[in-house]
Amino acid sequence: MKKVININFQGRILPIEEASYETLKQYIESLRQYFDAEEGRDEIINDIECRIAELCDDRLKKGAVCITEDDMRLIIESIGRPADFEAQDGFEASAPINSSNVKQEQFSDNGNDPQKRLYRDEQNKVIGGVCAGIANYLKLDPLLVRVLWILLFGISFFAYVLLWIAVPNTSASQVGGIRKRLFRDIDTKMIGGVCAGLSKYFGVRVGLIRLLFLIPTVLLVFNWNHFHLFQFWEFDDFPNFIELTFSPSAVFVYIVLWLVLPEARTTADKLQMRGEKVDINSIKNTIQTDMEGFGKRAQTWSSSFDKYKKPAGENETNKTSSSTAEGAAPEPAQRGGCLHFAGRSITILFKAFVYFVLGIITISILAALFGVGVVTTGLLPLRRFVLEDGAHNWYAYAIIVFFIWVPVIGIVTAIIRKIAGVKKANVWVRGGFWSLWALSWIFIPLFFATLTKSFSKQNEPQEEVYKLANAKVNYLEVSAQPKLKYYNHTWLKLEPFTFIDSDTVYVRNLRIRIVKAASDSFEVKYVRISNGKTLGEAERLASKLILTSINKTALYF
Amino acid sequence: MFQFTAMDIQNTQSQMRKGVLEFCILSIINKGEVYPSDIIDQMKAANLHILEGTLYPLLTRLKNAGLLHYRWVESVSGPPRKYFVMTDAGKEAFSVLLQTWNDMANAVSLLTQPPTPNTEA
Repeated sequence: MKKVININFQGRILPIEEASYETLKQYIESLRQYFDAEEGRDEIINDIECRIAELCDDRLKKGAVCITEDDMRLIIESIGRPADFEAQDGFEASAPINSSNVKQEQFSDNGNDPQKRLYRDEQNKVIGGVCAGIANYLKLDPLLVRVLWILLFGISFFAYVLLWIAVPNTSASQVGGIRKRLFRDIDTKMIGGVCAGLSKYFGVRVGLIRLLFLIPTVLLVFNWNHFHLFQFWEFDDFPNFIELTFSPSAVFVYIVLWLVLPEARTTADKLQMRGEKVDINSIKNTIQTDMEGFGKRAQTWSSSFDKYKKPAGENETNKTSSSTAEGAAPEPAQRGGCLHFAGRSITILFKAFVYFVLGIITISILAALFGVGVVTTGLLPLRRFVLEDGAHNWYAYAIIVFFIWVPVIGIVTAIIRKIAGVKKANVWVRGGFWSLWALSWIFIPLFFATLTKSFSKQNEPQEEVYKLANAKVNYLEVSAQPKLKYYNHTWLKLEPFTFIDSDTVYVRNLRIRIVKAASDSFEVKYVRISNGKTLGEAERLASKLILTSINKTALYF
Repeated sequence: MFQFTAMDIQNTQSQMRKGVLEFCILSIINKGEVYPSDIIDQMKAANLHILEGTLYPLLTRLKNAGLLHYRWVESVSGPPRKYFVMTDAGKEAFSVLLQTWNDMANAVSLLTQPPTPNTEA
């Protein structure tokens, strides 16, 4: 039982088996790829489509119920597949060319193909043919690629699996686009369009893919900063596991894919990327939505293309003058390809590096702001030790909110919006964030001015003397109270304080000087110094300092 | 010095064929308005096999070069079909090519003829 569908193909209604419809689509797609560089590509394909439609119609007129797979195969054979065109490269007289010979030639001859593609090599595969495919693509010995792969096993494993899934195998290339193809999507790109392309390929939200790449990268950055966030929850093994297996490779995989994947430039590429059926109408639709900004992109392409083309062209002229035309022809192309690849690699690696550094800077700034925000917010209940009531308080609140939390929230929102692929920038929100942050710059000098003012005056040192009357005790024992834990965490450990609540603070930064006594009586002199807005205020504050406890034999602080 | 392998022979063959392919197609069209599949049939009759997939790009290239143009001809069954005709430029080019071909053919047949024994006598 076979499903038959009706299609409107070049103005003819054709009943066609679904399977042969698929074959037809693939065939047209393979033609489109073959004639891609041709000026009159669309016209050629249109002509061929017309002819196919006519041949199908003939078959139906002869009494066929529908176009079967056999019919389609015969029709396609009579017109010829791209592989046959290459083999013929002209036309055949009665002597047929040994076709298997020619096919082999195609494989080794890939360098002349202007649009080189990465395929998994099914013939020389060990696991999935990825290494062999990469070797073909880069014109390296597969062994070299495999050795490198094993050396980098931890890193390359993730990349291997991705490429295995995403890269079509060589047998697919014979028929044409059996699968969707993996491209870098330059229209919705953030960095290199890798995530966007992957999301199109797997049909998932782009944000998900970006998170997959971003989370390990962020963890990597946090690890570098010794921010062991997970230690808190005793998940010690968990982040370590992630760091080891994924974080370097997420960056690595991204760079590899950036290098290896072609950009989706032509409309056919873009449709293939999404796996949509490629016909004149869908191309027209895509072109229409695409026209804006196309001219600009075309210019940058052509300028970068010219840059690469020049050295290749120079090679060609040098070569042809020194050797026969036949020997020289493939080589310049190959060299041009190498140069092109090297140039592209350098730009991409450079870009990747810059983005990586920028990313680390952003994340570090964010982390620092977040840390400061948490600390200052956590200290808010203690503000009365430092701050006075009134305007001073409000300045502090304004600074914490506008200077620290506003940018934190702003950056996080911006990152999320970017990841989620939200293109439309909300001017009001962005403007709001920036102006609030700018506002905080007004409060900062005000705050510090009042702050320094309130600490500007120092009292006369108040001295209190305790005689150590008991002559039998001839020593002074100074011992700190058992350490009280506040937070045993690096960025929450507040060194001078041992214990804090909203109206008492146990201060640890007492200075004790032991000096030789002038007389033979032992004494402890207790000096209290405080700062305040006015002299009287400073004195009042100093008198409030309390020495915790005085024992006959020892002093406890 | 220069080794002439089987591959090179194939290459030369395909170069030769490629060289005359356009000329053959132009000479068919020169006889009058034709439909592409008629070109295939006529060439087949002359024992020259060409795939439609190679013919269409060639016709498009010749048309874009201004040697051919086409006309939509209504057909009894289905949509109109493209028929190809020579342009004036095409006719001119064809006559030049024909001249060249005749000269070449003469030269080649002269050169490939075995030396006639009666010249010595």
